[in-house]
Amino acid sequence: MMRDRASRVWGLVAIRASLRGGSVSAADVCTAAVASVEVTGAWLIAAANADAGHLMSVTDEVSEHLAELELTLGEGPSLDAFASGGPALASDLRTREAASRWPAFAVAATEAGAGAIFAFPLRIGAIRAGVLGVYRARPGPLTAFQLGDALVFADTATLLLLEAQDETAGGRDPAAGPGGQPADLALHRAEIDQATGMLTEQLGTGIAEALLRLRAYAYAHDRRLADVAGDIVGRRLRLSAEADLTGDGGG
Amino acid sequence: MDGELLSETFVELTDTLVADFDMIDFLHVLTDRSVKLLDVSAAGLLLADPRGELRVVAASSEAARLLELFQLQNDQGPCLDSFRTGQPVSAADLDAEAQRWPRFAAAARLSGFAAVQALPMRLRDQVIGALNLFRASPGAFAPGDVRVGQALADVATISLLHERSLRHSDTLNEQLQAALNSRVVIEQAKGKLAERLGLNMEQAFVLLRDYARNHNLRLADLAQAFIDGTQTVVGQAVAAEPRTTARTGQPHNPARPAPPQAPPGNGAPAGEQAT
Repeated sequence: MMRDRASRVWGLVAIRASLRGGSVSAADVCTAAVASVEVTGAWLIAAANADAGHLMSVTDEVSEHLAELELTLGEGPSLDAFASGGPALASDLRTREAASRWPAFAVAATEAGAGAIFAFPLRIGAIRAGVLGVYRARPGPLTAFQLGDALVFADTATLLLLEAQDETAGGRDPAAGPGGQPADLALHRAEIDQATGMLTEQLGTGIAEALLRLRAYAYAHDRRLADVAGDIVGRRLRLSAEADLTGDGGG
Repeated sequence: MDGELLSETFVELTDTLVADFDMIDFLHVLTDRSVKLLDVSAAGLLLADPRGELRVVAASSEAARLLELFQLQNDQGPCLDSFRTGQPVSAADLDAEAQRWPRFAAAARLSGFAAVQALPMRLRDQVIGALNLFRASPGAFAPGDVRVGQALADVATISLLHERSLRHSDTLNEQLQAALNSRVVIEQAKGKLAERLGLNMEQAFVLLRDYARNHNLRLADLAQAFIDGTQTVVGQAVAAEPRTTARTGQPHNPARPAPPQAPPGNGAPAGEQAT
């Protein structure tokens, strides 16, 4: 069920890229999300740490304005989502609730033409990649289905931004999983998270790079991510900082 | 059944309106107390992720096989059936359930469980997940245990769905997603600690949990700080941040800068904070 959805979302993003005639980018995630989640506009901010972040893509002027407003005012849904690790969902910016949450932003965003704003953190546990924001001109909540899609668009954007940092990925399709599997980004398995944590120690790297190395190893050996993770957690496999990604190294 | 503990548990399960409410801690109360109060060996809780799957959010034991068993329930098992139907589902003898749930029944037996009871987390038409109770020996669950188990699940569900405001479903979804991400942070931290100290995952979890309790930290905050290299778990506490009170509306910023130098024995590699 979940994997179908991830594949479908990835397909929607990939179609945008091919229509543009380029490789998949943040802009494609935004335009595909606007159509699929049925919102007016979207923006994507790349931010790996507490820095202000970098506005990667916007679909319209209002989105750009909203993203800039948050940075100027120092408050708003994207900042909350980045800090809390959960989304910030404001179905109606005119409510007292929204006004008490973001006193300056709620008013300014309404004036800018937003009725509802939903911001999704780009997170895999402790790994932070940024925020995906969407807005609607008219107030109103996301349906459960739209919320589900928006979360999967955010998952897709997370891997896209992470893999963009990885020189060894070499234009790999971020959603076509290792071992010939579709979109492994959909697999929420404790062993993958545990193995990622173990690799920070084995490789002496940060958590984001540990995940990239885990994925790279699975690709290079054409194995399922969950299987490689299982071997690491079961202490049948160790990766070392020097292990090459193409041969038998690290095994 | 311990009446005093039962009353205390009900009180704790209604206490969701506090300023520093933490969903992960709250859900652990539900699974831990189920094991203490009822004649069961293990309890686990799965909640529905709007992405379209059930996710493990709490378990009375962190044993890897148990977590695996819960996760398997995305495909089949009593928890999934209970979630889909909104009704309790029981299996007094898993040996007799090979046809109903072939993979789940085999995996549960391998993990040492003979009987299972799944209880829906449900309020009226809305089913948000299911509570799983496991027992090592076969046999029907005592009706009293099932009633109390369902009552605990009901109270927890009502508390989570409590109409705090008009935007209650937004609030629940925000908290649920933050909790699901916290679960991932905790698993990552377990892995890092297990590797550093040569522990298994259960030992790593117990160490993290006890450290968080003793230092009045949220487990998820400790796990994040440990991964970021701003907090050690063994030896001296470093840069321990007091439990935040600014929970509602203004989430505290977990991405605050790391202290300038790593403490002795921390072993966090240089440059880790740079990511």
